[in-house]
Amino acid sequence: MTKRKMFFRMITASLVRRRSRMLVALLAIAVGATILSGLVTIYYDVPRQMGAEFRNYGANMILLPEGSGAFDNAEVDAALSKIPAASVVGVAPYRYESVTINEQPIVAAGTHMDGARAASPYWYIDGEWPAASGELLLGKEIAEKLSTKLGAELNVRYALTEEDEDHSDLFVKENSRKMIVAGILETGGSEEEYIYMAMEDLEALTESAGELDVAELSVSGSQAELQGYADSINASLDGVTARLVKRVTQSESTVLTKLQALVLLVTVIVLALTMICVATTMTAVVTERRREIGLRKALGASDASIIWEFMGEGLLLGLVGGLLGACLGFAFAQAVSVNVFSNSIAFRPLLLPITIIVSILVTGLACILPVRSATDIDPALVLKGE
Amino acid sequence: MFFRMIRGAFTRQRGKMLMIALTIALGASLATAMLNVMFDVGDKVAQELKTYGANITVVPKAASVLDNLYEVEGGDAAEGAYLREDELGKIKTIFWAFNIVDYAPFIDTDASLADGREVNVVGTWFNHYMALPTGETLNTGVQNLRTWWDITEGRWLDESQPDDANACMVGASVAAAAGIRAGDSIRLQGPRAGTTLTVVGVYDSGDSADDQIYAPLAQVQKLSNTAGCVSSIEVSALTTPDNELALRAAKDPKSLSASQYETWYCTAYVSSICFQIQEVITDAVASPVRQVADSEGAIMEKTQLLMILITILALVGSGLGISNLVTASVMERSNEIGLMKAIGANDRAITGLVLTEIVIVGIVGAVIGYFAGFGFAQIIGHSVFGSAIEMKAMVIPIVAVLVVVVTLVGSIPAVRTLLRLDPTVVLHGR
Repeated sequence: MTKRKMFFRMITASLVRRRSRMLVALLAIAVGATILSGLVTIYYDVPRQMGAEFRNYGANMILLPEGSGAFDNAEVDAALSKIPAASVVGVAPYRYESVTINEQPIVAAGTHMDGARAASPYWYIDGEWPAASGELLLGKEIAEKLSTKLGAELNVRYALTEEDEDHSDLFVKENSRKMIVAGILETGGSEEEYIYMAMEDLEALTESAGELDVAELSVSGSQAELQGYADSINASLDGVTARLVKRVTQSESTVLTKLQALVLLVTVIVLALTMICVATTMTAVVTERRREIGLRKALGASDASIIWEFMGEGLLLGLVGGLLGACLGFAFAQAVSVNVFSNSIAFRPLLLPITIIVSILVTGLACILPVRSATDIDPALVLKGE
Repeated sequence: MFFRMIRGAFTRQRGKMLMIALTIALGASLATAMLNVMFDVGDKVAQELKTYGANITVVPKAASVLDNLYEVEGGDAAEGAYLREDELGKIKTIFWAFNIVDYAPFIDTDASLADGREVNVVGTWFNHYMALPTGETLNTGVQNLRTWWDITEGRWLDESQPDDANACMVGASVAAAAGIRAGDSIRLQGPRAGTTLTVVGVYDSGDSADDQIYAPLAQVQKLSNTAGCVSSIEVSALTTPDNELALRAAKDPKSLSASQYETWYCTAYVSSICFQIQEVITDAVASPVRQVADSEGAIMEKTQLLMILITILALVGSGLGISNLVTASVMERSNEIGLMKAIGANDRAITGLVLTEIVIVGIVGAVIGYFAGFGFAQIIGHSVFGSAIEMKAMVIPIVAVLVVVVTLVGSIPAVRTLLRLDPTVVLHGR
């Protein structure tokens, strides 16, 4: 039998025959590795996932026409091309026009309802979002002023004017349209003072298409990234200026930094304590074998060969425990992600070798101290049990 | 004899016992730290989210039609619909007064600068000092409600300095357009009176406030001749995320039964705080700013859930760690137990002996661990949130139960396995 074969036989035999102790050690390592891989995965994923939650605060970038005037959809699309499509959460173009309902002057906004819904998730709608053409969303203030109920039919009028040579408005004709109130909007902000309708309806009413006053963008990303997008839009496009909504971006970065620091610190403390826990368990398992070490030394084994054998065992345990833990940790991170953010998590391949290496290092370190102290002592003393 | 054996175990096997105590202390400190942080994280995150500004606005009842729709008709459109300045202190006397973090009144008017440029002037509190009827004092105002403002020039207006009573802060767009710099004196002509103010600072807010001038409340009241009046109040309050009850109550508090009403009234829902503000301010409508209130609830819930799951992982981890080590340390004593059985000890005596040892070590470890864990929680609290984590009494029984259960779970099966073994086999060493 070669020396190497003997080495492996001793390691495997010790693992198989001392099954219960080895299971204890393996369990300890696997628990440590699970916590390591689980928490690190969460730590890396939390900013992304939490960032998505912060999009609940609504638009963090707005596009405005350069100078006065209006811009069109093509310019919005051009601006959007500067932002990675995956980071765009919602885009809501708006066009504001004065209309009259029951002879009351009211500001009507035309928008794409799906875009508005994605860009302003906090809008609370009593009733339904307008789905079909000819449906209206009424701000709460307006609904109270007009004392209108859901489902009521309103006659929306728009006075079409034209500018003559001396820049005074010239009345041309009046368009009117009957529309149904599909929902009443509550936000607690100035949105409650407007009525909202589909862009197509407003364009039909005003007989002009393509003009926009403002576009609200909800983009996920750090403040620096957002500023980068805004700068590249401002540099390359003439018709529009992009501005960050500072209240949202600045507050988001403050809070998100804190949250990330929280998860980091929790991860560090949990990991440090867990690793010490793993080490003490390993030490206990190895210390128990002082007699065996003494016997082996008495039979003439060199210190180096004893240390190597224990290290070999530790390596094997670390490998198996680390592998087990990496998988369990990913499962845990996945469960957290699904439960907290209802979103799946990306597997980080790099974490697998890291988890295994750390487990091996911790087990190796935990083994070597008691083994060394055992080999340092005279075998006679160890065997005598003192 | 029993006590002598126990004492013997502790003195002679000091190293081993220390190791077990250390592991239990580590596990217990992990559990303590995580539980303390978990119970407090909601409050801490809520505090952080205050940086988004007010989550409740209060306006006069008749002014529900807001003036920026009717600015064409002039600033007097909503005349007569004002809140009373002398009632502002009452906001700090409601049931949830403790949860009101900041608030500030606002009144605005259009004024013209010396060069004829029209500008909107907002009167408010900057860092208003208030002595409350309860004996507490409070510094509140836009300085806390507009955390995202960048002071590009000069400084914040400081109400505690007498000189700043005649000062103002100018928005970046206005400053750029009119060429105003910090330190300049500007003449404002309002609809009813004029005044001269010193510019102490220029701010960049990134929103419509860049086109405005912010001045102390009294100055703007003078410009529009509205002494003692404010047109809106922004309130920043710590709230509990809404649930179904809160949503129903927000629609109509009268639809609740008496006990439901009490639950709702005594919970810090945004709707109940709004309701209580309406009770103390005459003719006011308080409504939640959905953008802030809703998002706040969602983020707080997610953070709490995240921390709960991490805590569970840490608890399971430390539980397994402790019971694992206990099992290992009991298994290792097969020789001793075999010997005791061989010289006639009964099972119960042996179990009692082993368990007593483990439980004593466990208690020592848990006590050390509790205090260490509390220290870890404070490290987290101070370095992340800059404030201490509150000590929750509830954590003590949880940690105690956890330690007792895991040590027993770790030791009893091991002891039973050993007892089942034949002493001769054990002593023979197989």
